[in-house]
Amino acid sequence: MKKIGLALLFFLFMSPIVYAEFDIQEAIDAASPGEVIHIPAGHYQGNFVVTKPLTLLGEEGTEFISKNNDPALRIENTATISISNVELSGKSKAIVASNVDGLELSNIYIKDAYTGVHIQRSKNIHIHDIQVTGSEGHYAEKGNGIAIYKSEDILIENNLIEQMQDGIYVEEVNSIVVQHNNVTQSRYATHFMYTRDAKAFFNNYLSNVTGFMVMMTTGILLENNTVENHSDYNGYGMLLYDVQRASIAKNIIKNNRTGLALQKSSMIQIDTNNFQMNQTAVEGTKVSNNTKASNNSFTGNILTARSDQLGFQLQSNYYDDYTGIDIEGNGYGDVPYVAMSSFGQWMVRQPVYQYFVASPSVVLLTTLDQQINKTESRVLVDHTPRLVTEHEIENNKLNVIQTLAGLLLLVGSLWLWKRGITK
Amino acid sequence: MKKWVMMILLCCGVLWGCSEKTYEPREIVSETDVCKICNMSIVHNAYAGQIALKNGDYEIFDDIGCLMEYIVSNGDEEIGAAYIKDASKNEWIDVFEAVYVYNKEYWTPMNYGVVAFDTKQAAQEWMTQEGEGKLLHYKDLHNFNWGIHE
Repeated sequence: MKKIGLALLFFLFMSPIVYAEFDIQEAIDAASPGEVIHIPAGHYQGNFVVTKPLTLLGEEGTEFISKNNDPALRIENTATISISNVELSGKSKAIVASNVDGLELSNIYIKDAYTGVHIQRSKNIHIHDIQVTGSEGHYAEKGNGIAIYKSEDILIENNLIEQMQDGIYVEEVNSIVVQHNNVTQSRYATHFMYTRDAKAFFNNYLSNVTGFMVMMTTGILLENNTVENHSDYNGYGMLLYDVQRASIAKNIIKNNRTGLALQKSSMIQIDTNNFQMNQTAVEGTKVSNNTKASNNSFTGNILTARSDQLGFQLQSNYYDDYTGIDIEGNGYGDVPYVAMSSFGQWMVRQPVYQYFVASPSVVLLTTLDQQINKTESRVLVDHTPRLVTEHEIENNKLNVIQTLAGLLLLVGSLWLWKRGITK
Repeated sequence: MKKWVMMILLCCGVLWGCSEKTYEPREIVSETDVCKICNMSIVHNAYAGQIALKNGDYEIFDDIGCLMEYIVSNGDEEIGAAYIKDASKNEWIDVFEAVYVYNKEYWTPMNYGVVAFDTKQAAQEWMTQEGEGKLLHYKDLHNFNWGIHE
């Protein structure tokens, strides 16, 4: 009995992690610039520092565990670094890179760290195929998945980030492409601040507080992204604050409290997007009148558009609640579509009014607005509403295997039938 | 006797009603509080600010720059009190009495680089620790060039 008890105590107090014997720091220090270091599988505890051009390549099952509050891996004042096939964990930041020209991070899994990747004052960065998973808890108590500060020429693609404060945080960066990333359950999926020449394509952002938060940024392209289920009290699919020159095109913006919000912004083109089932599809405050939403499709939204005094232009969009007809047969309604609503304007000033959306009195008020404002010629009135939404027409496709199997079955049946007759 | 008691109670009520109203800072709720100006969720409480309006409402801000933008746009007639977090102690202090330090390298949620302290000594200690900055007072914030500085 005593032996069993001692054995149990042994397993209780023994760390389940057995650290590998290969000395990574020693290998880094001994390596010549440009060398490839193959790291054998195992758990390595420490705070490793790279200050020369190297490739660190982990075998399957290589894990770096930060020893204290310092980063597990620090890369400083160097060029041409490549890190791949490692897992990292620790209390603070997993990877920190400063003053690096040419860094590739790939196939990296980061778990339970406060911040996944932190890069500052660097250029020519490529981060791809990494996964960052934050710990349980409120986003206010966590850092960002990938954070880039004061850097240029960045490509972030094919990453999976979940449960962080901001999935991808970008501050004072020139020239960045963010594409094919998945971010879920974070505060902002991607947060651009003071950025120039930014592009975001084909990202899937689901169930964060806000999908894209773009602030004080000049020149940004948001195309072919899906932003879905940002439905909290302060939830937005996309929010642009103090942004100049933005193109928002071909995105699916679905099931959000507000699909797209524009504040203090100018020269924004909103084109060919699909706004589906948002509480409010597009909202504008202090937006210059050179902002235009055209050729978009609005389906199943409670409020199509709302704004403060001025607003933005609507042109040739499809609205599922449009009730006009097309006598001319040109594909556009003959009566203007009125998105302007008194209730919408109140809701801009007092967001808490959102809880009265779709109440009978609000529906009545909105209907009255639509009748009264038909002659309005300035804003939130579309004079050329499209009557048919543009669906992709799928051509008939021939499935070769199914066709051959069908033919074989037909010929076989005919042969059997004929054989039965002749007998 | 009853009349006298009633009179005293009435006077007390009138005096209490005429006394100066006090405005206490409220705690930040990260789930629902967003900056009144820029709409960011308040997650970096150490830089947060708030204005208690005379009508009992509160406006919350993520950065002293946003709080000042609100005051400049709306004036200060309706403001009962305004508070900002002391950067070194994480406690609410009076916006109008605070001492400020600007350094473009200081990080703040909007990257304006201005942090607040309750005393000049605390501000100087911060500058010694974090890097030299420029001392500012509340009146300097009205003309401050809010934004990122090269």
